[in-house]
Amino acid sequence: MKQVWQKIFARAWTTPAPLVAALVLLFSVAAAEAQERSRLDEVLQRGSLIVVTLGTVPPFAFKDDKGELVGFDIDVARLAANALFRDPNKIEFVIVTSDGRWPAIESGRADMGVGGTTVYPDRAIRVAFTRAFIDSGISIMVAKSAGIKSLEELNQEKYTVANLNNPQMADRAQMFFPKAKIITFDTPSGEFLAVKSGRAQALQIDTPTADYFAATSATDFEVLPTLLTASQNNGIYLKPGDFKWWLWLDTFVSELRTGSLYPRYAEIYQKWFKKDPPPQKFYLPPAR
Amino acid sequence: MGQYRAWLEAYGAAFLDAAAWTLGVAVAAFVCALIWGALLFFLRLNGGPWAARTVDAYVQLLRNTPVLLPIYLIYFGFPLVGLLWPASICGGLALVAQNGAYICEIFRGGYKAIDRVQHDAAKSLGLMPWTAFRKVTLPQLLVYCIPALGNQAVLLLKDTSLLSAITVVELTMQAKVLTERTGAAYAPFLVAAVFYLFMVWAIEFLTRLAQRGVRWR
Repeated sequence: MKQVWQKIFARAWTTPAPLVAALVLLFSVAAAEAQERSRLDEVLQRGSLIVVTLGTVPPFAFKDDKGELVGFDIDVARLAANALFRDPNKIEFVIVTSDGRWPAIESGRADMGVGGTTVYPDRAIRVAFTRAFIDSGISIMVAKSAGIKSLEELNQEKYTVANLNNPQMADRAQMFFPKAKIITFDTPSGEFLAVKSGRAQALQIDTPTADYFAATSATDFEVLPTLLTASQNNGIYLKPGDFKWWLWLDTFVSELRTGSLYPRYAEIYQKWFKKDPPPQKFYLPPAR
Repeated sequence: MGQYRAWLEAYGAAFLDAAAWTLGVAVAAFVCALIWGALLFFLRLNGGPWAARTVDAYVQLLRNTPVLLPIYLIYFGFPLVGLLWPASICGGLALVAQNGAYICEIFRGGYKAIDRVQHDAAKSLGLMPWTAFRKVTLPQLLVYCIPALGNQAVLLLKDTSLLSAITVVELTMQAKVLTERTGAAYAPFLVAAVFYLFMVWAIEFLTRLAQRGVRWR
């Protein structure tokens, strides 16, 4: 009896072995084929766009009073969905913290990412960016009580500046106020808490976000008149190496900024920033 | 593979620095938590009913709240009363506060595991309370407590990652910063994980050494 069981057991092991080997081979071929297939085809087949974004950077991407995800960058993503499917609602958002953006793209969890994201050469080694669809300046917000009036004044050892954990801010701090002490947070709320509690006297933040907060919740803050950077490129990001998908997204951004989608662009620009966007092309008169 | 080597060459030093912070905060916090936990335990044992109740309340409060709360409260709250302590001290303090509560409970559990007869025997031998504690209770207490203390040290080490929320550039924060700089999705976190793994191994090794040191002979 024991021998019989042993035989059955041995057969149970050996019989599926070639089958398993064949399956593994099949899957690896399928995987190789899948790699050649563009994400664009996948998106079109799926019939909806999956977008990774942030939820804490007004007015680019944030939750409004009703808890709904809104913002300029969210509207840009909806325009992309509209261009793909003629429906701005065929879209799914994945909300992450700032350092969760890259895994979401790398793993293929999302088709593309958008939301207050700066194009930066260090990042471009591993992430592909489209051309910029908006120019964001960088401002310094200071506590009114600190009495700091200029960047030069801020550059003193007695002051502490709250940063986010992104490279732009670290590099700019080095450039503009090397003497000030820097503390680094992973959320904007941490930055604001730090200034409110007196741990820091100032914080770095995108100019539109600074203006938004200064007008709404952070009335005890002031935005310094001088910008750290008048121009910072914010783009759409995606997994590198997929030329077809990148080309579509880049073409979309180009059309948005300077071409057929410019009227829609101007509309959402007005809606979120309360001013006209940069002209469609430098040699054209401003559209009215 | 080459890009990972280049990456490590560029950012490896930053990781070593961060690992030193993690280890420094963890070791300092654990030593302080041991002392604090022992104090709480003595107070609970010998301080009378009110002290026991107070310690119990403290232990309940800190064991049943996520440690991120005291970390935030101390870091953002202390400046409001004029105490501008560095982030690592504030975070360490929060870790000591919570781990002290846990360690107090570990000691209490170990103490309860000692047979009553042992205390009676010590008394009947005419040992003074301190001598009885040193010669009879403590050796047995250590035998019962060291494995649990080792576990607690591992938990504390891993909890230091929460200090990344309050600007301490320890391993987790360094991984976040480097992910943000380079757009590398996994590499920084994998490197950080390897560092944590080695530190946990070291703790386990030390725990085993300590266990062997206090074994009955």
